Amino acid sequence: MKHYLFLHWQSARIALVKILRQPVGSLLSLAMLSVAMALPLSLYLTVMSVQDWVGKLTATPQITLFMEQSAEEADIAAVGSALKHHPRVKGYTFVSKKQALTDLEKRNGLNGLTEGLDANPLPDAFVVTPTSLEPKQLELLQKELSGLPMVEEAQFDASWAKRLYGMVDLGKHLTLFLALALGVALVLITHNTIRMQILARRDEIEVSKLIGATDSFIRRPFLYHALWQGLLAGLVAWGLTSWLVAVANPAIAEFAQLYNEQVELRGLAPLELALVLAGAVLLAMLGARLAADHHLRRVSAS
Amino acid sequence: MIQFDQVTKRYPGGIDALKNLSFGIETGEMVFLAGHSGAGKSTLLKLISGLERATTGNVMVSGHNLSKLRRSQLPFVRQHIGVVFQDHKILFDRNVFDNVMLPLDIIGFDRREAARRVRAALDKVGLLGKEKVMPIRLSGGEQQRLCIARAVVHRPAVLIADEPSANLDRAYALDIMELFKSFHQVGVTVLISAHDETLMEDYGRRILRLKEGQFTA
Repeated sequence: MKHYLFLHWQSARIALVKILRQPVGSLLSLAMLSVAMALPLSLYLTVMSVQDWVGKLTATPQITLFMEQSAEEADIAAVGSALKHHPRVKGYTFVSKKQALTDLEKRNGLNGLTEGLDANPLPDAFVVTPTSLEPKQLELLQKELSGLPMVEEAQFDASWAKRLYGMVDLGKHLTLFLALALGVALVLITHNTIRMQILARRDEIEVSKLIGATDSFIRRPFLYHALWQGLLAGLVAWGLTSWLVAVANPAIAEFAQLYNEQVELRGLAPLELALVLAGAVLLAMLGARLAADHHLRRVSAS
Repeated sequence: MIQFDQVTKRYPGGIDALKNLSFGIETGEMVFLAGHSGAGKSTLLKLISGLERATTGNVMVSGHNLSKLRRSQLPFVRQHIGVVFQDHKILFDRNVFDNVMLPLDIIGFDRREAARRVRAALDKVGLLGKEKVMPIRLSGGEQQRLCIARAVVHRPAVLIADEPSANLDRAYALDIMELFKSFHQVGVTVLISAHDETLMEDYGRRILRLKEGQFTA
């Protein structure tokens, strides 16, 4: 058993040395494999990050009631008391047009924004927190509230988030499809690189078979080659996506800041990285196995 | 050690390379196999080393019935037989030492013990000084010796040589024969094929003569 492990360790070592000794050829296939993996990985991270963010948004859906410009204080008080006694309203805050304007100025650093304006263009508003989080109930409440006197519009903050949710779902499907397609590509690429190697070592394989090499002995170096290639490609792909996240995050943060949101691309979690590496290794070895079996069948047939 | 029992080998196309052959070779015996090219010598040797399978009949090698073994078990039979191939089958992408190392790699020898054995085998065939040389720079006779070193490095119980003296001048061929004799003297069962019978007659060993797939007197 110890000896058996030693033989495997030896094959693995020799395969790694062979990869490192042909840096140009190995780099080309490594680049191909890692780019093929980095694509779905980046998309996955983007989709997951957006999902996290959307999840946070929709966790506390709010309905904003915008009053008409001509609304008087009495109208505002009427709406306020209606909200106070409404069974499906958990709470509300009132944002006066004045407050809204100072908020806006403060937030965007646009001091003296109103100087050029005749009057405050912003409406008074209520931000309503409903009791029920169920989408249907929310919709009903929104309709009901928009019917209150002097209410110009009841805007459901989460409705666009819901639309975004749909897009996230689409993104997930796209990621899955891309992952499947590029998984197949990974198998094919390793199949091809291993096939080239087998052809280059055809004589060695033939002689080895003649003097008693088993099929598994002949397959072993190629499987280990594929193992290293898959592992290295996985690590490079991880490096590429980490780099993408590092480069993209400041830009995204800056953009999100404009909407007073905090959005951040996240990197791969350790478990995800482990799964990606294991997947890459298995697919690469599958490709190598198929190539080796194909060749062995041909050799024994002749 | 080797036992053929009514063995027929028919190749696709209906050509019988061997017709109903029965014979035995004792452990430690040295036997020659004579016959013109096309007489079936190579086929007979391939049946012993498990490279071909008999169409009918049984081939027994050191207690294994090769006709009944599964294909996946044949490699292990081959690992106990040393074969000197007619066309040498030397690998030209590696030096002499690594060529001889190959069978030990396949069996899975410990590297240090293997290196010791490779040098012993090279010493035996007189190539010890050339272990780092690439085979392309060896002479025809040296390549033959390299092939012999590779065939004996794992100390097989049976040594098979297919036309080892072909393309060599007589003096060199005699050298090679002496080499085989020395393996026979340490207890290895040796079977050598050749189309030139004059070389064999000097040794006074049993000669199996093949003609069109059958033994002749």
